[in-house]
Amino acid sequence: MIDTGEVSAFRDLHTRLGDAVESAVRGKRDVIDLVLVAMFAGGHVLLEDVPGTGKTTLARAVAGALGGVSRRVQFTPDLLPSDVTGTSVYDPQTGQIRFRPGPVFANIVLADEINRAAAKTQSALLEVMEERTVTIDGVGHAVPDPFLVVATQNPIDLDGTYRLPEAQLDRFMVRTSIGYPSVEDELDVLRPGSGAGRIADVRTVTSPREVSAFSGRLSLLHVADPILQYVSSLGVGTRSDERLRLGTSTRGLRTLVRCAQVYAASKGRHFVVPQDVQDIADPVLAHRLVLTRESVLAGVTTSEVLADVLSRVPVPKPA
Amino acid sequence: MRVWRPGRSGLRIWSSDRFVPRVWLGGVVMKYAWVAAILLVASLQLAQAWDGAFVYFGLAAFTGFLALLLKRLVPAGLAALAVMVLAMSGGFFAARGASPDRDPTWVLLDTVPRLLTAARPAPATPELLVPGLLLIIGVSTVTVLSVTKRNTALFVPALGAAVLYVSAALLTTGRADKYGLVALVLVVLLALGWLIIDRRGPVVPPAVLATALAALTLVAFVLPTNGFEPRKLVTPPVTNVAIANPLPQLAAWAAQGEAELFRMRGPEVPVRLVTLSRYSGASWEAASTYGPLGVVDAPDLPTGGKFQDASVDLTITGLQGEWLPGVGKPQAVSLSNAMVDPDTGSLVVADGLRTGLSYTVRGTLETPADTDLSEAKVPVDATRYTALPRLPFTLAEYARQATQSARTPYEKAVALEQVVRLNRRPDAEAPVGSSYARLETFLFGAAGESGAGAGTAEQFASAYAVLARAVGLPTRVVVGFQPVPEQNGERIVRAADATAWPEVYFSGWGWVAFDPVSGNGSGPSAASKREVLNRLASTTAKPTPTSLPSVPPLVQPTPVQPDAVAAPEKPAGFPFWVFAPVLLLVGLYVARTARRVRLRAAGPVGAWHEVLDSLQLAGLRPRASRTVPDVGREWGDAGVRLAVLVDEAAFAPQPTRQEDSWRLARQVRKAVRRKASWWRKAVWAVDPRPLLRR
Repeated sequence: MIDTGEVSAFRDLHTRLGDAVESAVRGKRDVIDLVLVAMFAGGHVLLEDVPGTGKTTLARAVAGALGGVSRRVQFTPDLLPSDVTGTSVYDPQTGQIRFRPGPVFANIVLADEINRAAAKTQSALLEVMEERTVTIDGVGHAVPDPFLVVATQNPIDLDGTYRLPEAQLDRFMVRTSIGYPSVEDELDVLRPGSGAGRIADVRTVTSPREVSAFSGRLSLLHVADPILQYVSSLGVGTRSDERLRLGTSTRGLRTLVRCAQVYAASKGRHFVVPQDVQDIADPVLAHRLVLTRESVLAGVTTSEVLADVLSRVPVPKPA
Repeated sequence: MRVWRPGRSGLRIWSSDRFVPRVWLGGVVMKYAWVAAILLVASLQLAQAWDGAFVYFGLAAFTGFLALLLKRLVPAGLAALAVMVLAMSGGFFAARGASPDRDPTWVLLDTVPRLLTAARPAPATPELLVPGLLLIIGVSTVTVLSVTKRNTALFVPALGAAVLYVSAALLTTGRADKYGLVALVLVVLLALGWLIIDRRGPVVPPAVLATALAALTLVAFVLPTNGFEPRKLVTPPVTNVAIANPLPQLAAWAAQGEAELFRMRGPEVPVRLVTLSRYSGASWEAASTYGPLGVVDAPDLPTGGKFQDASVDLTITGLQGEWLPGVGKPQAVSLSNAMVDPDTGSLVVADGLRTGLSYTVRGTLETPADTDLSEAKVPVDATRYTALPRLPFTLAEYARQATQSARTPYEKAVALEQVVRLNRRPDAEAPVGSSYARLETFLFGAAGESGAGAGTAEQFASAYAVLARAVGLPTRVVVGFQPVPEQNGERIVRAADATAWPEVYFSGWGWVAFDPVSGNGSGPSAASKREVLNRLASTTAKPTPTSLPSVPPLVQPTPVQPDAVAAPEKPAGFPFWVFAPVLLLVGLYVARTARRVRLRAAGPVGAWHEVLDSLQLAGLRPRASRTVPDVGREWGDAGVRLAVLVDEAAFAPQPTRQEDSWRLARQVRKAVRRKASWWRKAVWAVDPRPLLRR
């Protein structure tokens, strides 16, 4: 069981991290917090937005604040799986085959425009995300801990993109979009010398080791049975909705609980309340739902369906 | 069920929410005393449906505790079963005498229709007591055993009391609790028990209690007027009896003189043998349809407002025939084969009287005062008692003349009594008969003619009845026996005591006897009659009998004057039903207050339910999918802070925060109330909807 002292220590760290990242990415505190929650929950983030809204800056700022190794892979149609994972090469000096690690061997991997690569390459990355090891020539190579993939994706209706398959979207813990900043924030960004977007100025406030430690401890945060029942009935709600071809998987619900734990701790609480689940449900669940063909044609989005489900399922009563 | 430990008795301060004193008045003993009190009150209430059964019913109320003792040895269900089997076996052996050679189920089931066709209140005979006692034993057992279970702690005593109370109301047509006082006592007892003994019980009982109380109250007030009557469900056995008219026998009895007919013990009251209400122009006839005593049919004319009960023991020594002597309107007869005509109260035994037959009759005697009668009216619609087929003109005209200066029906009745008696003599040798012809001879016959101006009680009573009917007074003739003086604790009734008298019905006061033979019988006192006669003196001189022969013989009875008639008046009582809504409101208020007390003791979660209650009352009930902080945010800082406390109390492993959640809830409630419309504020304190919410 995790106690209140530990929770307030985490909350401080979370706040410091958030402040550090915000010095580079202005006015997007909610998205920053979400990315940090995913990181502490041991998951990956998919940022889905049009070009130029700060996706890459966000990922790099997080890496900077964390103080770990960060790499960036620009996905293109001709990118090969070995370009992502690494490959074995012959070393003429020693006369041996040597493993040369790819860009995934880092604490934070920024997979830019993931939907521009072919499915084969996407799969290579997604496999690493799930397994956290790379197997080359029968030898497993573990990626460092913490390991956070921040993938960005242009909206799929743009030209020259390969849509990510549903099964693989499920690998991302949260999907969110950044969106355009407010007028004041945009002015702030535009003003010369504001420091916005300058990654080099992001202070390093923690270490990968500290993040790993907290990540392990937070999975012990208290979740009352009624909350679990509530999460379960949300799952049932999505599965029985007529507009959906596919509801939330059990893995999706587990992830929701895991995120709710970290989210609750980030609010300074040592227990999860229904509001946590509701706050976190859309980024965690929406991308896992699959609409029926009719709903797609009718212009319904999974977020709308999820909002309906949330407004339909009764929250656990205090008792 | 909360565990009742005697060691925890005494005053305690409940600590989860401050300053809520907690009283445990003696734990388990207190609780069972409470249940016993409720059962006792309800049982004694039910006992009123029987005659003198209070002891049995009072004892039966405690049989549940027998089951409680048994429960130490065997499971509760088995204990209850054992008590019921025991009670039913006892019931079978007690009731077996009434219907021998039948199987136990039939015997037990048959006691219910027996009870429903018995007199009201039912005599305390074993077979009639069985259904009531079994009901009480069942209710008592279930109640006592259930109060050891948490969820039924309050609900079952309320239900049990309601069952017994409603049964009592049904069996007595609401007379057992005319003013709802017993209902009030039960309600207070139940509320006290819940508020003091079981105040932190489950949430459902207040709703159930409020509903039960409302139902109880309504039933109590609705029943006496137009309620459900269980006796209508039972078809009483009806017997057609064709029995000879005993009027002609008066002459025979008069001739027998000192022959002893029966002996009686009890007050000095006239004994009635049979009441004759049908007149054919040739003779009087008795009713021919009889049912068991206590059948539901009310008499065709309502009973008077003033009456008293009289009970006599009779032993037949010489009387013969099927008519059974009785007093007043019989309420109970100790003979199981006696049957009654509900309209007249005439009693018959189908297989006839036999010497040595001994029985007790309890009857109701109507006892109006003279002053009551002087202005009393007579019903217009009692045509059965004013019917005179083919009335000769002479009799109609004689009656009209005799009463022409009389103002009220009572004055007419008194004037006729005087007119019939005047210048006529009782003569046991006079010719019998009560046809128009015999009555004309009796009234107008020339001197020397046989039976002119002379007759037995038959002629006096018949003449009076015909004349009274002719002027619109509902009248009937009773054959019976004069009151006789007591000798050695017994009254010996002889043949010479047999007589007949007419009775006139006055609205609101019932049947009043007149005595045209001697003028000072059992009816209104002589003084009051003299006063009336003095007033009418100028016209009560002997009216001239018309010299017309019986042509034209057919006239209708003189129409009654409109001012002299009226529909039967109901005695105006205080409308106690107006208390029903008040009681309901009080009950709801108590239930709501009790709910608040309980919520207050339940910490932050209770405080939140209080907020939800007020939101519901204000019509702002949030959707079930909204979280506590989401709802709380709308009601300012207090709402936000309360939401934090509530979430922690509900979902944290160990609550740590210390803050007065009830104070915050009150602030929120105030804010909510400000937003409510005026009519919602008006019913705020008694709106039952929060009671239905879990």
